[in-house]
Amino acid sequence: MRQQLRQAAAIINSAWQRNLAYRFTVVTYRLGEIIEIVVLVLMWTAIYAAGTTTIKGFSLNEMITYVLIGNVFSAAVRNFIPGYVSRDIEQGRLSMFLVRPISYMKFVFINELGRSFLATLLSVLTQIGIVLLFLDRVVINNDPGQLLLILIMVFLAVIIELLLGFLIGTIAFWTDETDGLHTTIERVKRFFSGGYFPLALLPAALATVSFYLPFQYSFYAPAMLYLGKLSFWEGVTGLLVQLAWIALLSVIVSIVWKMGLKRYEAAGS
Amino acid sequence: MSIAIHVRNLVKQYTFHRKEAGLLGTFKSLFMRQSFYANAVQDISFEVEEGEIVGFLGPNGAGKTTTLKMLSGILYPTSGTIEVLGMRPQDRRNELKRQFGIVMGQKEQLTRVLPAMDSFKLFKEFYSLPDTEYQETLNELVDLLEVHEYLDIPVRKLSLGQRMKCELIGALLHNPRVLFLDEPTIGLDVVAQKNIRDFIKKYNQKRKTTIMLTSHYMDDIKELCERVIIINFGRIIYDGKLSTLITEYATDKLIRVSATESIPKEVLERFGTVEEYQGVRATILVPRKEVKAIASKLMASDLPIDDIGIDEMPIDDVIRAIFAAH
Repeated sequence: MRQQLRQAAAIINSAWQRNLAYRFTVVTYRLGEIIEIVVLVLMWTAIYAAGTTTIKGFSLNEMITYVLIGNVFSAAVRNFIPGYVSRDIEQGRLSMFLVRPISYMKFVFINELGRSFLATLLSVLTQIGIVLLFLDRVVINNDPGQLLLILIMVFLAVIIELLLGFLIGTIAFWTDETDGLHTTIERVKRFFSGGYFPLALLPAALATVSFYLPFQYSFYAPAMLYLGKLSFWEGVTGLLVQLAWIALLSVIVSIVWKMGLKRYEAAGS
Repeated sequence: MSIAIHVRNLVKQYTFHRKEAGLLGTFKSLFMRQSFYANAVQDISFEVEEGEIVGFLGPNGAGKTTTLKMLSGILYPTSGTIEVLGMRPQDRRNELKRQFGIVMGQKEQLTRVLPAMDSFKLFKEFYSLPDTEYQETLNELVDLLEVHEYLDIPVRKLSLGQRMKCELIGALLHNPRVLFLDEPTIGLDVVAQKNIRDFIKKYNQKRKTTIMLTSHYMDDIKELCERVIIINFGRIIYDGKLSTLITEYATDKLIRVSATESIPKEVLERFGTVEEYQGVRATILVPRKEVKAIASKLMASDLPIDDIGIDEMPIDDVIRAIFAAH
Protein backbone atom coordinates (compact mmCIF):
# COMPACT_ATOMS: atom_id res chain seq x y z
CA MET A 1 0.00 0.00 0.00
CA ARG A 2 2.76 2.41 0.96
CA GLN A 3 4.60 1.42 -2.21
CA GLN A 4 1.47 2.14 -4.27
CA LEU A 5 1.13 5.58 -2.74
CA ARG A 6 4.78 6.37 -3.43
CA GLN A 7 4.28 5.30 -7.03
CA ALA A 8 1.20 7.49 -7.36
CA ALA A 9 3.00 10.43 -5.77
CA ALA A 10 5.91 10.07 -8.20
CA ILE A 11 3.57 9.96 -11.21
CA ILE A 12 1.59 12.98 -10.05
CA ASN A 13 4.77 14.87 -9.28
CA SER A 14 6.06 14.18 -12.77
CA ALA A 15 2.75 15.19 -14.35
CA TRP A 16 2.76 18.49 -12.48
CA GLN A 17 6.29 19.29 -13.52
CA ARG A 18 5.57 18.59 -17.16
CA ASN A 19 2.49 20.76 -17.07
CA LEU A 20 4.14 23.77 -15.57
CA ALA A 21 5.28 24.30 -19.15
CA TYR A 22 1.68 24.86 -20.23
CA ARG A 23 0.41 27.43 -17.76
CA PHE A 24 -0.78 29.77 -20.49
CA THR A 25 -2.91 27.06 -22.12
CA VAL A 26 -4.67 26.42 -18.84
CA VAL A 27 -5.64 30.07 -18.55
CA THR A 28 -6.75 30.46 -22.16
CA TYR A 29 -9.03 27.45 -21.90
CA ARG A 30 -10.92 29.17 -19.08
CA LEU A 31 -11.64 32.14 -21.30
CA GLY A 32 -13.47 29.96 -23.81
CA GLU A 33 -15.52 28.32 -21.08
CA ILE A 34 -16.65 31.64 -19.68
CA ILE A 35 -17.72 32.89 -23.10
CA GLU A 36 -19.62 29.69 -23.89
CA ILE A 37 -21.62 29.82 -20.69
CA VAL A 38 -22.39 33.51 -20.86
CA VAL A 39 -23.69 32.95 -24.41
CA LEU A 40 -25.93 30.10 -23.20
CA VAL A 41 -27.33 32.25 -20.41
CA LEU A 42 -28.01 35.10 -22.83
CA MET A 43 -29.65 32.71 -25.28
CA TRP A 44 -32.09 31.31 -22.74
CA THR A 45 -32.85 34.82 -21.47
CA ALA A 46 -33.73 35.86 -25.01
CA ILE A 47 -35.93 32.78 -25.54
CA TYR A 48 -37.88 33.38 -22.35
CA ALA A 49 -38.16 37.07 -23.15
CA ALA A 50 -40.23 36.07 -26.17
CA GLY A 51 -43.13 35.47 -23.82
CA THR A 52 -42.96 32.06 -22.22
CA THR A 53 -42.58 31.77 -18.47
CA THR A 54 -41.82 28.06 -18.38
CA ILE A 55 -40.48 25.53 -20.87
CA LYS A 56 -41.25 21.92 -19.94
CA GLY A 57 -41.53 23.03 -16.33
CA PHE A 58 -38.29 25.07 -16.31
CA SER A 59 -38.55 28.70 -15.28
CA LEU A 60 -35.87 31.05 -16.64
CA ASN A 61 -34.00 31.00 -13.34
CA GLU A 62 -34.13 27.22 -13.24
CA MET A 63 -32.83 27.06 -16.81
CA ILE A 64 -29.94 29.39 -15.99
CA THR A 65 -29.18 27.40 -12.86
CA TYR A 66 -29.22 24.23 -14.95
CA VAL A 67 -26.65 25.64 -17.37
CA LEU A 68 -24.40 27.06 -14.67
CA ILE A 69 -24.44 24.22 -12.15
CA GLY A 70 -24.35 21.54 -14.84
CA ASN A 71 -21.16 23.05 -16.21
CA VAL A 72 -19.57 22.93 -12.77
CA PHE A 73 -20.19 19.16 -12.73
CA SER A 74 -19.10 18.74 -16.30
CA ALA A 75 -15.82 20.56 -15.57
CA ALA A 76 -15.21 18.32 -12.59
CA VAL A 77 -15.61 15.03 -14.47
CA ARG A 78 -13.94 15.93 -17.76
CA ASN A 79 -10.61 14.39 -18.77
CA PHE A 80 -8.24 14.39 -21.72
CA ILE A 81 -7.51 10.70 -21.71
CA PRO A 82 -8.70 9.79 -25.24
CA GLY A 83 -6.13 12.04 -26.93
CA TYR A 84 -3.45 11.03 -24.50
CA VAL A 85 -3.93 7.29 -24.94
CA SER A 86 -4.31 7.42 -28.71
CA ARG A 87 -1.14 9.50 -29.04
CA ASP A 88 0.80 6.98 -26.97
CA ILE A 89 -0.47 4.17 -29.16
CA GLU A 90 0.08 5.96 -32.47
CA GLN A 91 3.55 7.22 -31.61
CA GLY A 92 4.65 4.03 -29.92
CA ARG A 93 5.27 5.62 -26.51
CA LEU A 94 3.15 2.84 -25.06
CA SER A 95 6.13 0.51 -25.57
CA MET A 96 7.91 2.21 -22.70
CA PHE A 97 5.19 1.11 -20.30
CA LEU A 98 4.88 -2.40 -21.68
CA VAL A 99 8.47 -3.17 -20.73
CA ARG A 100 8.23 -1.75 -17.22
CA PRO A 101 6.47 -3.27 -14.23
CA ILE A 102 3.59 -0.82 -14.12
CA SER A 103 0.10 -1.02 -15.57
CA TYR A 104 -0.38 1.52 -18.31
CA MET A 105 -4.01 2.13 -17.34
CA LYS A 106 -3.05 2.78 -13.78
CA PHE A 107 -0.35 5.18 -14.93
CA VAL A 108 -2.74 7.03 -17.24
CA PHE A 109 -5.44 7.39 -14.57
CA ILE A 110 -3.09 8.63 -11.87
CA ASN A 111 -1.28 10.82 -14.36
CA GLU A 112 -4.59 12.30 -15.54
CA LEU A 113 -5.73 13.00 -12.00
CA GLY A 114 -2.41 14.71 -11.37
CA ARG A 115 -2.24 16.42 -14.71
CA SER A 116 -5.77 17.74 -14.71
CA PHE A 117 -5.87 18.55 -11.03
CA LEU A 118 -4.82 22.14 -11.56
CA ALA A 119 -6.83 22.54 -14.75
CA THR A 120 -9.94 20.99 -13.25
CA LEU A 121 -9.63 22.96 -10.07
CA LEU A 122 -9.29 26.17 -12.05
CA SER A 123 -12.15 25.15 -14.29
CA VAL A 124 -14.46 24.35 -11.40
CA LEU A 125 -13.45 27.59 -9.70
CA THR A 126 -14.20 29.50 -12.90
CA GLN A 127 -17.60 27.86 -13.14
CA ILE A 128 -18.35 28.64 -9.51
CA GLY A 129 -17.23 32.20 -10.22
CA ILE A 130 -19.77 32.42 -13.02
CA VAL A 131 -22.44 30.98 -10.74
CA LEU A 132 -21.67 33.73 -8.23
CA LEU A 133 -21.86 36.32 -11.02
CA PHE A 134 -25.44 35.29 -11.76
CA LEU A 135 -26.24 34.61 -8.12
CA ASP A 136 -29.50 36.57 -8.15
CA ARG A 137 -30.81 34.21 -10.83
CA VAL A 138 -29.52 30.96 -9.33
CA VAL A 139 -31.80 28.59 -7.47
CA ILE A 140 -30.25 27.64 -4.13
CA ASN A 141 -30.39 24.08 -2.82
CA ASN A 142 -29.04 23.38 0.66
CA ASP A 143 -30.58 20.00 1.40
CA PRO A 144 -27.61 18.04 2.81
CA GLY A 145 -29.01 14.65 1.72
CA GLN A 146 -29.40 15.75 -1.88
CA LEU A 147 -26.03 17.47 -1.93
CA LEU A 148 -24.36 14.30 -0.65
CA LEU A 149 -26.15 12.28 -3.31
CA ILE A 150 -24.92 14.73 -5.96
CA LEU A 151 -21.36 14.44 -4.63
CA ILE A 152 -21.44 10.64 -4.87
CA MET A 153 -22.95 10.82 -8.35
CA VAL A 154 -20.24 13.19 -9.57
CA PHE A 155 -17.54 10.99 -8.04
CA LEU A 156 -18.90 7.92 -9.86
CA ALA A 157 -19.16 10.01 -13.03
CA VAL A 158 -15.42 10.79 -12.76
CA ILE A 159 -14.72 7.04 -12.73
CA ILE A 160 -17.06 6.42 -15.67
CA GLU A 161 -15.44 9.20 -17.66
CA LEU A 162 -11.96 7.80 -16.96
CA LEU A 163 -13.00 4.36 -18.20
CA LEU A 164 -14.85 5.79 -21.21
CA GLY A 165 -11.91 8.03 -22.06
CA PHE A 166 -9.53 5.09 -21.94
CA LEU A 167 -11.85 3.01 -24.12
CA ILE A 168 -12.15 5.79 -26.70
CA GLY A 169 -8.37 6.18 -26.66
CA THR A 170 -7.84 2.51 -27.52
CA ILE A 171 -9.58 3.04 -30.88
CA ALA A 172 -6.09 4.04 -32.01
CA PHE A 173 -5.12 0.35 -32.02
CA TRP A 174 -7.46 -0.08 -35.00
CA THR A 175 -7.10 3.16 -36.91
CA ASP A 176 -4.55 5.95 -37.16
CA GLU A 177 -7.15 8.63 -37.74
CA THR A 178 -8.74 9.23 -34.39
CA ASP A 179 -9.14 13.02 -34.18
CA GLY A 180 -12.44 13.19 -36.04
CA LEU A 181 -13.86 10.24 -34.17
CA HIS A 182 -12.91 11.74 -30.82
CA THR A 183 -14.63 15.01 -31.67
CA THR A 184 -17.77 13.26 -32.86
CA ILE A 185 -17.91 11.05 -29.79
CA GLU A 186 -17.38 14.13 -27.61
CA ARG A 187 -20.39 15.83 -29.26
CA VAL A 188 -22.65 12.79 -28.91
CA LYS A 189 -21.60 12.42 -25.30
CA ARG A 190 -22.32 16.07 -24.64
CA PHE A 191 -25.74 15.77 -26.23
CA PHE A 192 -26.70 12.73 -24.16
CA SER A 193 -25.24 14.30 -21.03
CA GLY A 194 -27.68 17.18 -21.40
CA GLY A 195 -24.88 19.64 -22.00
CA TYR A 196 -26.62 21.39 -24.90
CA PHE A 197 -30.07 21.54 -23.30
CA PRO A 198 -31.98 19.63 -20.59
CA LEU A 199 -32.86 16.11 -21.69
CA ALA A 200 -36.40 16.77 -20.44
CA LEU A 201 -36.89 18.73 -23.65
CA LEU A 202 -36.34 15.56 -25.67
CA PRO A 203 -39.09 13.18 -26.79
CA ALA A 204 -39.92 10.79 -23.95
CA ALA A 205 -38.39 7.75 -25.67
CA LEU A 206 -35.00 9.40 -26.06
CA ALA A 207 -35.09 10.67 -22.49
CA THR A 208 -35.74 7.12 -21.26
CA VAL A 209 -32.87 5.76 -23.33
CA SER A 210 -30.53 8.39 -21.97
CA PHE A 211 -31.48 7.42 -18.42
CA TYR A 212 -29.82 4.05 -18.99
CA LEU A 213 -26.78 5.52 -20.75
CA PRO A 214 -23.84 6.59 -18.60
CA PHE A 215 -23.55 10.11 -20.03
CA GLN A 216 -26.32 12.07 -18.30
CA TYR A 217 -24.77 11.47 -14.89
CA SER A 218 -21.99 13.88 -15.76
CA PHE A 219 -24.38 16.83 -16.22
CA TYR A 220 -28.12 16.39 -16.46
CA ALA A 221 -28.84 14.06 -13.54
CA PRO A 222 -26.85 15.91 -10.86
CA ALA A 223 -28.16 19.24 -12.15
CA MET A 224 -31.77 17.97 -12.00
CA LEU A 225 -31.17 16.63 -8.50
CA TYR A 226 -29.89 20.04 -7.54
CA LEU A 227 -33.01 21.67 -8.97
CA GLY A 228 -35.17 19.17 -7.09
CA LYS A 229 -36.64 17.94 -10.37
CA LEU A 230 -35.34 14.44 -9.73
CA SER A 231 -36.41 12.83 -6.47
CA PHE A 232 -33.92 11.45 -3.98
CA TRP A 233 -34.87 7.88 -4.91
CA GLU A 234 -34.58 8.55 -8.62
CA GLY A 235 -31.10 9.77 -7.79
CA VAL A 236 -30.28 6.58 -5.90
CA THR A 237 -31.51 4.53 -8.88
CA GLY A 238 -29.15 6.63 -10.97
CA LEU A 239 -26.23 5.62 -8.73
CA LEU A 240 -27.09 1.98 -9.35
CA VAL A 241 -27.11 2.58 -13.10
CA GLN A 242 -23.70 4.22 -12.72
CA LEU A 243 -22.31 1.30 -10.72
CA ALA A 244 -23.56 -1.12 -13.35
CA TRP A 245 -21.81 0.94 -16.03
CA ILE A 246 -18.56 1.00 -14.07
CA ALA A 247 -18.64 -2.79 -13.82
CA LEU A 248 -19.53 -3.20 -17.48
CA LEU A 249 -16.97 -0.67 -18.71
CA SER A 250 -14.22 -2.25 -16.61
CA VAL A 251 -14.85 -5.57 -18.29
CA ILE A 252 -15.06 -4.04 -21.77
CA VAL A 253 -11.92 -1.96 -21.26
CA SER A 254 -9.87 -4.95 -20.14
CA ILE A 255 -11.07 -7.09 -23.07
CA VAL A 256 -10.54 -4.36 -25.65
CA TRP A 257 -7.13 -3.56 -24.18
CA LYS A 258 -6.01 -7.18 -24.50
CA MET A 259 -7.29 -7.35 -28.07
CA GLY A 260 -5.61 -4.09 -28.95
CA LEU A 261 -2.25 -5.10 -27.52
CA LYS A 262 -2.19 -8.11 -29.83
CA ARG A 263 -2.49 -5.70 -32.74
CA TYR A 264 -0.07 -3.15 -31.37
CA GLU A 265 2.73 -2.47 -33.81
CA ALA A 266 4.92 -0.20 -31.69
CA ALA A 267 5.32 2.37 -34.42
CA GLY A 268 8.06 4.93 -34.47
CA SER A 269 11.17 2.86 -34.19
CA MET B 1 25.66 -22.08 -18.08
CA SER B 2 21.93 -21.76 -18.24
CA ILE B 3 19.91 -20.53 -21.18
CA ALA B 4 18.64 -16.97 -20.83
CA ILE B 5 16.79 -16.63 -24.12
CA HIS B 6 15.15 -19.38 -26.04
CA VAL B 7 13.46 -18.71 -29.40
CA ARG B 8 11.80 -21.40 -31.49
CA ASN B 9 10.22 -20.96 -34.96
CA LEU B 10 9.37 -17.35 -34.31
CA VAL B 11 7.21 -15.58 -36.91
CA LYS B 12 5.88 -12.02 -37.00
CA GLN B 13 3.49 -11.00 -39.69
CA TYR B 14 2.45 -7.40 -40.27
CA THR B 15 -0.75 -6.39 -42.02
CA PHE B 16 -0.72 -3.36 -44.25
CA HIS B 17 -2.84 -1.71 -46.88
CA ARG B 18 -1.88 -0.29 -50.20
CA LYS B 19 -3.23 2.95 -51.53
CA GLU B 20 -2.87 4.25 -55.06
CA ALA B 21 -1.35 7.70 -55.24
CA GLY B 22 -3.62 10.73 -55.44
CA LEU B 23 -7.11 11.69 -54.34
CA LEU B 24 -8.85 9.06 -56.46
CA GLY B 25 -6.66 6.38 -54.94
CA THR B 26 -7.56 7.59 -51.47
CA PHE B 27 -11.24 7.52 -52.36
CA LYS B 28 -11.00 4.02 -53.76
CA SER B 29 -9.16 2.79 -50.68
CA LEU B 30 -12.09 3.91 -48.55
CA PHE B 31 -14.29 1.26 -50.14
CA MET B 32 -11.98 -1.41 -51.43
CA ARG B 33 -9.21 -1.94 -49.00
CA GLN B 34 -7.09 -4.93 -49.64
CA SER B 35 -4.99 -6.36 -46.86
CA PHE B 36 -1.47 -7.46 -47.53
CA TYR B 37 0.77 -9.42 -45.27
CA ALA B 38 4.47 -9.13 -44.83
CA ASN B 39 6.57 -11.42 -42.73
CA ALA B 40 8.97 -9.24 -40.80
CA VAL B 41 10.38 -12.30 -39.10
CA GLN B 42 10.01 -15.73 -40.66
CA ASP B 43 10.72 -18.79 -38.63
CA ILE B 44 13.81 -17.93 -36.63
CA SER B 45 15.24 -20.04 -33.81
CA PHE B 46 18.18 -19.42 -31.52
CA GLU B 47 19.35 -19.62 -27.94
CA VAL B 48 21.38 -17.23 -25.86
CA GLU B 49 23.29 -18.29 -22.78
CA GLU B 50 23.34 -16.26 -19.65
CA GLY B 51 26.15 -13.70 -19.65
CA GLU B 52 26.62 -13.78 -23.42
CA ILE B 53 26.75 -10.71 -25.64
CA VAL B 54 25.18 -11.51 -28.97
CA GLY B 55 25.31 -9.14 -31.91
CA PHE B 56 22.26 -8.99 -34.10
CA LEU B 57 23.29 -7.86 -37.52
CA GLY B 58 21.39 -7.07 -40.68
CA PRO B 59 20.34 -4.32 -43.06
CA ASN B 60 17.35 -2.02 -42.45
CA GLY B 61 14.09 -3.91 -42.36
CA ALA B 62 15.78 -7.26 -41.83
CA GLY B 63 13.73 -7.95 -38.72
CA LYS B 64 16.22 -7.13 -35.98
CA THR B 65 14.10 -4.55 -34.19
CA THR B 66 10.96 -6.62 -34.62
CA THR B 67 12.69 -9.55 -32.95
CA LEU B 68 13.90 -7.44 -30.04
CA LYS B 69 10.41 -6.02 -29.61
CA MET B 70 9.01 -9.54 -29.39
CA LEU B 71 11.73 -10.59 -26.94
CA SER B 72 10.79 -7.68 -24.69
CA GLY B 73 7.05 -8.30 -24.93
CA ILE B 74 6.23 -5.10 -26.82
CA LEU B 75 5.00 -7.02 -29.85
CA TYR B 76 2.90 -10.13 -29.85
CA PRO B 77 4.40 -12.89 -32.00
CA THR B 78 2.29 -14.29 -34.84
CA SER B 79 3.54 -17.81 -34.10
CA GLY B 80 6.43 -19.64 -32.51
CA THR B 81 7.65 -19.62 -28.94
CA ILE B 82 9.84 -17.28 -26.95
CA GLU B 83 11.17 -17.76 -23.47
CA VAL B 84 13.17 -15.14 -21.67
CA LEU B 85 14.44 -16.30 -18.28
CA GLY B 86 11.89 -19.08 -18.50
CA MET B 87 8.89 -16.79 -19.08
CA ARG B 88 6.86 -15.81 -22.13
CA PRO B 89 7.50 -12.10 -22.75
CA GLN B 90 4.09 -11.60 -24.40
CA ASP B 91 2.45 -12.40 -21.07
CA ARG B 92 4.07 -9.20 -19.83
CA ARG B 93 4.51 -10.43 -16.30
CA ASN B 94 6.01 -7.97 -13.84
CA GLU B 95 8.30 -10.71 -12.60
CA LEU B 96 9.96 -10.77 -16.01
CA LYS B 97 9.85 -7.01 -16.55
CA ARG B 98 11.88 -6.53 -13.39
CA GLN B 99 14.64 -8.65 -14.87
CA PHE B 100 15.24 -7.13 -18.27
CA GLY B 101 15.90 -3.69 -19.67
CA ILE B 102 15.66 -2.28 -23.17
CA VAL B 103 17.15 0.74 -24.89
CA MET B 104 15.87 1.77 -28.27
CA GLY B 105 18.20 4.18 -30.00
CA GLN B 106 15.39 5.82 -31.90
CA LYS B 107 12.78 5.90 -29.17
CA GLU B 108 13.17 8.00 -26.07
CA GLN B 109 12.02 6.60 -22.78
CA LEU B 110 13.04 9.62 -20.75
CA THR B 111 10.68 12.58 -20.59
CA ARG B 112 12.07 15.18 -22.96
CA VAL B 113 11.00 18.32 -21.16
CA LEU B 114 12.41 17.22 -17.80
CA PRO B 115 15.95 16.48 -16.63
CA ALA B 116 16.93 12.80 -16.78
CA MET B 117 17.03 12.71 -12.99
CA ASP B 118 13.25 13.20 -12.85
CA SER B 119 12.66 10.23 -15.14
CA PHE B 120 15.04 8.12 -13.05
CA LYS B 121 13.04 8.92 -9.93
CA LEU B 122 9.85 7.89 -11.70
CA PHE B 123 11.44 4.61 -12.86
CA LYS B 124 12.63 3.98 -9.31
CA GLU B 125 8.99 3.98 -8.20
CA PHE B 126 7.87 1.87 -11.18
CA TYR B 127 10.25 -0.85 -9.98
CA SER B 128 9.73 -0.07 -6.28
CA LEU B 129 13.50 0.09 -5.78
CA PRO B 130 14.68 0.63 -2.21
CA ASP B 131 16.37 4.02 -1.68
CA THR B 132 19.83 2.69 -0.88
CA GLU B 133 19.92 0.19 -3.73
CA TYR B 134 18.71 2.81 -6.18
CA GLN B 135 21.25 5.36 -5.00
CA GLU B 136 24.11 2.87 -5.23
CA THR B 137 23.23 1.74 -8.74
CA LEU B 138 22.68 5.29 -9.90
CA ASN B 139 26.01 6.50 -8.54
CA GLU B 140 27.83 3.61 -10.12
CA LEU B 141 26.24 4.15 -13.53
CA VAL B 142 26.73 7.90 -13.40
CA ASP B 143 30.41 7.37 -12.61
CA LEU B 144 30.92 4.78 -15.32
CA LEU B 145 29.23 6.92 -17.96
CA GLU B 146 30.55 10.25 -16.65
CA VAL B 147 27.29 12.12 -16.87
CA HIS B 148 27.35 14.02 -13.55
CA GLU B 149 26.92 17.40 -15.19
CA TYR B 150 23.99 16.48 -17.41
CA LEU B 151 21.55 15.06 -14.91
CA ASP B 152 19.75 18.32 -14.10
CA ILE B 153 19.40 19.56 -17.68
CA PRO B 154 16.16 18.86 -19.60
CA VAL B 155 16.77 15.83 -21.80
CA ARG B 156 15.83 17.65 -25.01
CA LYS B 157 18.78 20.03 -24.46
CA LEU B 158 21.32 17.21 -24.33
CA SER B 159 23.42 16.04 -27.23
CA LEU B 160 22.55 12.69 -28.75
CA GLY B 161 25.52 11.03 -27.04
CA GLN B 162 24.67 12.45 -23.63
CA ARG B 163 21.05 11.48 -24.09
CA MET B 164 21.93 7.92 -25.02
CA LYS B 165 24.05 7.60 -21.88
CA CYS B 166 21.07 8.74 -19.82
CA GLU B 167 18.79 6.30 -21.66
CA LEU B 168 21.20 3.51 -20.75
CA ILE B 169 21.07 4.50 -17.09
CA GLY B 170 17.27 4.52 -17.26
CA ALA B 171 17.31 0.95 -18.54
CA LEU B 172 19.82 -0.30 -15.99
CA LEU B 173 18.61 1.22 -12.72
CA HIS B 174 16.90 -2.01 -11.74
CA ASN B 175 19.98 -4.16 -12.45
CA PRO B 176 18.43 -6.30 -15.18
CA ARG B 177 19.76 -9.77 -15.93
CA VAL B 178 19.00 -9.38 -19.62
CA LEU B 179 19.54 -6.25 -21.66
CA PHE B 180 18.25 -5.54 -25.15
CA LEU B 181 20.00 -2.76 -27.02
CA ASP B 182 18.48 -1.65 -30.31
CA GLU B 183 20.94 0.53 -32.19
CA PRO B 184 22.40 2.13 -29.06
CA THR B 185 25.02 4.01 -31.06
CA ILE B 186 22.90 5.19 -33.98
CA GLY B 187 23.71 8.69 -35.13
CA LEU B 188 26.57 9.13 -32.67
CA ASP B 189 30.00 10.42 -33.60
CA VAL B 190 32.96 8.07 -33.43
CA VAL B 191 34.06 9.15 -29.95
CA ALA B 192 30.58 8.87 -28.46
CA GLN B 193 30.12 5.49 -30.13
CA LYS B 194 33.31 4.26 -28.54
CA ASN B 195 32.27 5.54 -25.11
CA ILE B 196 28.99 3.67 -25.25
CA ARG B 197 30.71 0.57 -26.52
CA ASP B 198 33.34 0.63 -23.77
CA PHE B 199 30.62 1.04 -21.21
CA ILE B 200 28.61 -1.93 -22.51
CA LYS B 201 31.73 -4.07 -22.46
CA LYS B 202 32.68 -3.08 -18.92
CA TYR B 203 29.13 -3.49 -17.71
CA ASN B 204 28.84 -6.98 -19.15
CA GLN B 205 32.16 -8.06 -17.64
CA LYS B 206 31.21 -6.74 -14.25
CA ARG B 207 27.59 -7.83 -14.04
CA LYS B 208 27.53 -10.82 -16.38
CA THR B 209 24.39 -9.35 -17.91
CA THR B 210 23.09 -11.17 -20.96
CA ILE B 211 23.06 -8.65 -23.80
CA MET B 212 21.46 -8.75 -27.23
CA LEU B 213 22.52 -5.85 -29.36
CA THR B 214 21.59 -4.69 -32.82
CA SER B 215 23.72 -2.29 -34.74
CA HIS B 216 24.49 -1.00 -38.18
CA TYR B 217 28.05 -0.35 -37.16
CA MET B 218 30.47 -3.22 -37.59
CA ASP B 219 32.77 -1.68 -34.99
CA ASP B 220 30.14 -2.19 -32.31
CA ILE B 221 29.81 -5.84 -33.19
CA LYS B 222 33.54 -6.43 -33.57
CA GLU B 223 34.34 -4.82 -30.25
CA LEU B 224 31.57 -6.34 -28.22
CA CYS B 225 30.34 -9.62 -29.58
CA GLU B 226 32.03 -12.94 -29.89
CA ARG B 227 28.90 -14.32 -31.40
CA VAL B 228 26.79 -12.82 -34.15
CA ILE B 229 23.42 -13.66 -35.56
CA ILE B 230 23.05 -12.34 -39.07
CA ILE B 231 19.51 -11.82 -40.25
CA ASN B 232 18.19 -10.76 -43.60
CA PHE B 233 14.63 -10.72 -44.96
CA GLY B 234 13.47 -12.07 -41.62
CA ARG B 235 15.62 -15.20 -41.72
CA ILE B 236 18.79 -16.11 -39.89
CA ILE B 237 21.57 -16.63 -42.37
CA TYR B 238 24.42 -17.04 -39.93
CA ASP B 239 24.63 -17.80 -36.23
CA GLY B 240 28.03 -18.42 -34.75
CA LYS B 241 31.37 -16.98 -33.78
CA LEU B 242 32.48 -13.84 -35.49
CA SER B 243 35.90 -15.38 -36.11
CA THR B 244 34.45 -18.49 -37.76
CA LEU B 245 32.32 -16.29 -39.98
CA ILE B 246 35.46 -15.01 -41.63
CA THR B 247 37.07 -18.37 -42.31
CA GLU B 248 33.76 -19.85 -43.40
CA TYR B 249 32.51 -17.14 -45.68
CA ALA B 250 35.62 -15.28 -46.77
CA THR B 251 36.80 -17.35 -49.69
CA ASP B 252 39.52 -14.81 -50.40
CA LYS B 253 42.45 -13.43 -48.46
CA LEU B 254 44.35 -10.22 -48.82
CA ILE B 255 48.02 -9.89 -49.71
CA ARG B 256 49.49 -6.54 -48.75
CA VAL B 257 52.46 -5.54 -50.84
CA SER B 258 54.83 -2.68 -50.18
CA ALA B 259 57.55 -1.88 -52.67
CA THR B 260 60.61 0.33 -52.85
CA GLU B 261 59.40 1.86 -56.08
CA SER B 262 56.05 2.07 -57.82
CA ILE B 263 54.82 -1.10 -59.51
CA PRO B 264 52.36 -0.68 -62.41
CA LYS B 265 48.84 -1.80 -61.56
CA GLU B 266 48.62 -4.08 -64.61
CA VAL B 267 51.59 -6.08 -63.34
CA LEU B 268 49.96 -6.67 -59.96
CA GLU B 269 46.69 -7.66 -61.59
CA ARG B 270 48.40 -10.75 -62.97
CA PHE B 271 48.49 -12.10 -59.39
CA GLY B 272 44.89 -11.32 -58.33
CA THR B 273 42.26 -8.62 -57.98
CA VAL B 274 43.85 -5.34 -56.94
CA GLU B 275 41.73 -3.88 -54.15
CA GLU B 276 43.74 -0.83 -53.23
CA TYR B 277 46.50 0.71 -55.27
CA GLN B 278 48.88 3.50 -54.30
CA GLY B 279 51.92 2.72 -56.45
CA VAL B 280 54.36 1.59 -53.75
CA ARG B 281 51.61 0.04 -51.67
CA ALA B 282 48.78 -2.23 -52.80
CA THR B 283 46.45 -4.93 -51.57
CA ILE B 284 45.59 -7.87 -53.77
CA LEU B 285 42.61 -10.14 -53.27
CA VAL B 286 43.44 -13.79 -53.92
CA PRO B 287 41.60 -17.09 -53.39
CA ARG B 288 42.21 -18.52 -49.92
CA LYS B 289 43.61 -21.79 -51.29
CA GLU B 290 46.18 -20.14 -53.51
CA VAL B 291 47.37 -17.51 -51.11
CA LYS B 292 50.64 -19.26 -50.23
CA ALA B 293 51.56 -20.04 -53.80
CA ILE B 294 50.84 -16.53 -54.98
CA ALA B 295 52.73 -14.97 -52.09
CA SER B 296 55.85 -16.96 -52.87
CA LYS B 297 55.47 -16.20 -56.56
CA LEU B 298 55.40 -12.50 -55.68
CA MET B 299 58.50 -12.81 -53.54
CA ALA B 300 60.32 -14.80 -56.19
CA SER B 301 59.48 -12.30 -58.94
CA ASP B 302 61.92 -9.58 -59.92
CA LEU B 303 59.51 -6.86 -58.77
CA PRO B 304 60.98 -4.30 -56.31
CA ILE B 305 59.00 -5.77 -53.41
CA ASP B 306 60.06 -4.74 -49.94
CA ASP B 307 57.58 -6.63 -47.80
CA ILE B 308 54.41 -8.65 -48.10
CA GLY B 309 51.78 -9.54 -45.53
CA ILE B 310 48.75 -11.80 -45.56
CA ASP B 311 45.48 -10.67 -43.98
CA GLU B 312 41.92 -11.80 -43.60
CA MET B 313 39.32 -9.79 -45.48
CA PRO B 314 37.71 -7.07 -43.37
CA ILE B 315 34.60 -8.39 -41.65
CA ASP B 316 32.52 -5.62 -43.22
CA ASP B 317 33.36 -6.93 -46.67
CA VAL B 318 32.62 -10.49 -45.64
CA ILE B 319 29.20 -9.53 -44.37
CA ARG B 320 28.50 -7.42 -47.41
CA ALA B 321 29.36 -10.47 -49.48
CA ILE B 322 26.96 -12.60 -47.44
CA PHE B 323 24.12 -10.12 -47.90
CA ALA B 324 24.89 -9.89 -51.60
CA ALA B 325 24.77 -13.67 -51.91
CA HIS B 326 21.38 -14.00 -50.23
